[in-house]
Amino acid sequence: MLNELIHQAALWLDNTAASTSMHESFYVYNWVETTHVLTLTLSLGLLLVIDLRMLGLAFTNLPATRLAQRLQTPMFLGFAVMFITGMALFYAIPVRSSQSLWLRIKLLLLLAALINALVFHRHLRNAGPDWNNAVKAPLSLRRGAWMSIGCWVGVVICGRLIAYDWFDCSKNPAPLISAFVGCINGQEQF
Amino acid sequence: MRKTTAVIALALPLALIVSWRAVAHHAFSAEFDKEAPVTLKGKVTKIEWINPHAWIHLAAEQPDGTTVAWMVEGGTPNTLLRAGINRNSLPIGSEINVRGYQAKNKSCEPACKANGRDITLPGGGKAFMGSSGTGAPKDGSDPRDR
Repeated sequence: MLNELIHQAALWLDNTAASTSMHESFYVYNWVETTHVLTLTLSLGLLLVIDLRMLGLAFTNLPATRLAQRLQTPMFLGFAVMFITGMALFYAIPVRSSQSLWLRIKLLLLLAALINALVFHRHLRNAGPDWNNAVKAPLSLRRGAWMSIGCWVGVVICGRLIAYDWFDCSKNPAPLISAFVGCINGQEQF
Repeated sequence: MRKTTAVIALALPLALIVSWRAVAHHAFSAEFDKEAPVTLKGKVTKIEWINPHAWIHLAAEQPDGTTVAWMVEGGTPNTLLRAGINRNSLPIGSEINVRGYQAKNKSCEPACKANGRDITLPGGGKAFMGSSGTGAPKDGSDPRDR
């Protein structure tokens, strides 16, 4: 039912003129994709610096929350650009993307990363300033930092694998995969 | 010292992922078989002028006179444009000649798949239709190969 709705929405997007022109464009798609990947180096790089600081593995001589606060703004800017370009990439190829095994796993991981980030921030607020100059952050924050690294490594790997068509609906994947990615019986557009 | 080791252990896989991403959109060896070169001759049946890879569909002529449906992957529309191929240079029904490598998956469903290397256009002009730096065999068809 949900997959049916997703498929209908994807077909509708696919039939818009802008989606087609982006899919067939000489420059737009390439630039958007390049931007999407370049912002990864910016934001994920900054996130990794913050996570490693919490784990006591980098910049241990800098106050942890100060470092996190300083890096936050460019990081969120990068994530915003990443989000917008990601939506645009989806919009260019909606039907295939909506049924991509890797994109679905990636979105689940992104959701996990988001929840983890919210929990992390709550812990950060509650932790108080006493540990700021300590080498390692309190355990709850270190757990969050590991979760963050794990989720994002998964997101990057899945993002990369979207390019491959191993489990596309056009290839009649195994029933379990087919159900997870939402292949529709008798679908004609891929 | 332990810190440095841990940082390297963390950074290395990430660096690998990122550089792997930069090498090619879509590595040749993941999908195509360098041991299975093909030469296809036939009429264009459909062009998918799309990112990130354009697809040229053709009805390839067999020695016995029948045809087999093939779809040949090319570079991006932009890459093809730079190589001198655009939508108008390949009207449906025009006779082309394509050299490339068949997909590892040889099930031919719904059509046989190949990665295109060079294409001979209806006018006789020859162009490189693949992408550079994908790890495809250095067979001389890519002018950027060294």
